[in-house]
Amino acid sequence: MTLSLQSAPRLHGVDHTARPTWKLRETVHFYRDILGLPLVHAITAKGWGREKEEHADFLHFFFDSGNESTIAFFYYIGTQQPPELVVPRGYMAMANHTAWRVESETELLAWQKRLEDQGVRVSQSVTHEVIESIYFRDPNFYPLEIARTLRDVETPDAVDAGLTLETAMRLEDTGRWSNIEQLWRAKAEHVIAHQELHPA
Amino acid sequence: MTGFFVLDVPEFAPLVAAARRAPNVTVHPVRGSYRFVEFDGALDIRRSDTGLNEAVWFGCLTAGLCGKIVRFDAEQLSLIATNEPVLPL
Repeated sequence: MTLSLQSAPRLHGVDHTARPTWKLRETVHFYRDILGLPLVHAITAKGWGREKEEHADFLHFFFDSGNESTIAFFYYIGTQQPPELVVPRGYMAMANHTAWRVESETELLAWQKRLEDQGVRVSQSVTHEVIESIYFRDPNFYPLEIARTLRDVETPDAVDAGLTLETAMRLEDTGRWSNIEQLWRAKAEHVIAHQELHPA
Repeated sequence: MTGFFVLDVPEFAPLVAAARRAPNVTVHPVRGSYRFVEFDGALDIRRSDTGLNEAVWFGCLTAGLCGKIVRFDAEQLSLIATNEPVLPL
């Protein structure tokens, strides 16, 4: 059952994203000094009043990442990083990342140069379908990305995304889906049906 | 019907242009924002003929495939016709 989008309340962009850190000084240095993001807000609190959970006292602090968004961190005083929150090596953990937007190739190259000048390992730019990106990591090993938009996504992109995901969910339901060729072949049937409905 | 679909967006246009050069290829008009690139028998496309970088190249069949992949690496995409089921039985 698909819920009507017309009745859904709207979102208006990112307020903040947040992750835990056990490297307070290095994190402040990286985001405030190396990236140059202003430290704009900090909360300090005695747990959340959740004594039964033994919730640690903590700091929650925010760096301005533009367009009224912030990137935030929690620092839990006197705690050790649980093993399950250590960022694993490998590509799968990189899926959990923050990507910031810049408005031009000039800005993207300026960020690449700034990072390199500050001794941060940064990738060459990669051109994807609709964005061009550079990649790097913070002192917590959290993956970061800075991207510029190459073109706006338009209605055909959204229609295509819908067909892709509808196909993929049906394949997932079979329990026998193992590779992308299966998706591409199954999707073709959806595209043919779509074309029959939209001959122009 | 053997071939692949291509969404009518700029980043995949070089793929259509490269495929069009093959003698056994028919590029159909855009319908519902998709082109169908039809071929007889088999089709090889070299990445160097498309100018696509790897990030786009390895997603170039994302609009749908009526056929089977026999080679898909950084250098070349090779497709043939197939009657095999999409999923293993």
